[in-house]
Amino acid sequence: MTICISRRQFTLATLTLPCPLVRTPQAERIPPPPPSLATESPPAAGPLSHTGYRDVLSIAICPLSDLPMISLKDIVPAATNTINTQFIVLDKGNIGQDGKETTCLALVADETAAVHFQLWGDECHFFEPGDIIRLSNGIFSYHKSNLVLRAGKKGKADKVGEFNMLFVETPNMSEIKWANDPTNPRKFVKEEEVSSHSRIFLPLP
Amino acid sequence: MSTSKLLRVCSLDAENPIDSSLREAFSSLHDRLKPPFPLTIPSPSEYSQLNLALAYGMLTEPHLAKTHLTHLHAIVIDGYNHFTTILINLSNESYPKLLQTPKSQLLWMSSKLVQVAAVKVETLIISLLRQIKGGDFSEPNLWLCAELMSILANNWDWLLEEPLVMKSSLFVFLRLLADHYRLVGRPELDKLKRMEIEFCIRVLRQHFDICLDIGRDLIRILQDLVYVPEFKNVWMDFLSDPGKFGVSVFMDISQLYRTRTPSHYLLLTITPEMETQLRFLLTHVKWGSQKRYQAWFAKKHFCTPGSETLIVDIVRFICCVHHPSNEIIQSNVISRWAIIGWLLKCCKKNYFLANVKLALLYDWLFFDEKVDNIMNIEPAMLLMVNSINQYIDITHTLLEFLFLLVDNYDVQRRELIFKGVSNSFCLLVRKGVVHSLESLTSCNQLSPVFREKLSSMISSSNLKTVKGSSESEIILCGRRTPSGA
Repeated sequence: MTICISRRQFTLATLTLPCPLVRTPQAERIPPPPPSLATESPPAAGPLSHTGYRDVLSIAICPLSDLPMISLKDIVPAATNTINTQFIVLDKGNIGQDGKETTCLALVADETAAVHFQLWGDECHFFEPGDIIRLSNGIFSYHKSNLVLRAGKKGKADKVGEFNMLFVETPNMSEIKWANDPTNPRKFVKEEEVSSHSRIFLPLP
Repeated sequence: MSTSKLLRVCSLDAENPIDSSLREAFSSLHDRLKPPFPLTIPSPSEYSQLNLALAYGMLTEPHLAKTHLTHLHAIVIDGYNHFTTILINLSNESYPKLLQTPKSQLLWMSSKLVQVAAVKVETLIISLLRQIKGGDFSEPNLWLCAELMSILANNWDWLLEEPLVMKSSLFVFLRLLADHYRLVGRPELDKLKRMEIEFCIRVLRQHFDICLDIGRDLIRILQDLVYVPEFKNVWMDFLSDPGKFGVSVFMDISQLYRTRTPSHYLLLTITPEMETQLRFLLTHVKWGSQKRYQAWFAKKHFCTPGSETLIVDIVRFICCVHHPSNEIIQSNVISRWAIIGWLLKCCKKNYFLANVKLALLYDWLFFDEKVDNIMNIEPAMLLMVNSINQYIDITHTLLEFLFLLVDNYDVQRRELIFKGVSNSFCLLVRKGVVHSLESLTSCNQLSPVFREKLSSMISSSNLKTVKGSSESEIILCGRRTPSGA
């Protein structure tokens, strides 16, 4: 039997085969890091400690606000700053001027959804693709007919890490058409998905 | 937000927890840090706060650092364990962000802690060694090399008591010398090069007995230094007069070949930040999502002119240090072989590409099931087999290189290497990493010469008999069930 399989097929195979591709006896598993490289105090317990993946969980209760962190898939347009969330920057558009203020549109995402994020002022030059940002009291609303997430006047975006965060590029919350909730005209509900992915920032080939 | 005296941050950076704990301890105890020091014995929590405060004082107030150090000597009751741990955490978590003053102070404090043989100072020095970046000729990186080199050279007696630091430093500086020797026209580098050469030669010549357990990667990195005059003699003695090292058990270079390099050494040549990112990529990122991470990694770590040499270290890390669990191997997390395929494509210069291929195939050459780990050779096998359809050039170039190594790597020990490579193929099939080698031996796109060589290698090994054994059947049956049903 030959195994001339392409990368894609290989992926599917790894998903469905019940038997491990490599049979490693227990003894051949990763040994614990040598004591000289591992520091003993808890804050630096492993390679994924400070800016690592675990932080995504540990910052889940945002110290800057009473409101809990929400996932991007759950954000709904509103007129007030209430959004506390964390995401990774995937892409940045060109930096431009909006009146006196420097602005720049970015594609950001977490493990549940992506959204367009409006960078403002210094944020435009400072935040780069791969940066993990914690948004406190942000706002998701229409800005010049574009539906964007941003810090707004009352909110704040802080860089909390780099690289170590998972994301999805679909759905994109800025590519959803929202309608007024018939039972509560001050609220929005999802009407339809205009596009599964961002139409401004195209997915990598 | 006030700007930090410790780290290079701006108002858009979230507060760094280490920075704030140090700063808060310092500001709450500030008045007690000036002489006369109180004679009362601090409670455990006061002691802990005092250590943080003194660390912050020394890091940010160079003009008062000596006073703070005297204070530390006066209060210390734990062999400096607490204090050293603070610095280890700072180095591991925040070294790349440190401002120049705290950076210089950290190195000064480390040298002082070496002088008093502080508890865990060996961990601190090894942590700082890991902050040196391979392939980076920037001023701050060369400065760190020089600072650590002087700490090591000025504390030889201490180093003799700390063999792991000696061996780790040897490994790191041999690796760096290959970079530094390649760089010409930088006279300010000459002094550093001289110190590095003297240090490495001294360790190799006087303490070769303790270097033996570094194993085969010691030879691999020494290969890059074969043209450095000082190392020519070392090579001559390795090959023709091993007795010159004065170690009775060392009779032949093949003893080093046969020793698998502990992962400790291969971790030294990549920074903690790279390690975190690579482990994240290979533990969490799914197939199809890897491209952005790869682009970010390359932008961050491969942007300087010499950084291609780093790819060799990363490939060794992936093969020998990062071994995913069976759960991850079965999941749709991106595989090690695919990341290595990408790294091969990142390498533009042939010279470095050859070194990357050597790094990928190195454990094949001396593979012995008793001492070696199949996970070290698995990525190359899967990369060869899975590239057949779309990237036959990779399969071709790896097989070509492997046969080249068998014939030429060490002509006098060709038998050993031939056996290592055939052992590798044999075990990879027996353990079910690949069903068989038929995809290679029957692949029309591969040169008939290679296919013939491969077939003769398999037939010379006991692969054929093993294939019929019960163990292999069990593995193959398990694999066959879903597709065969």
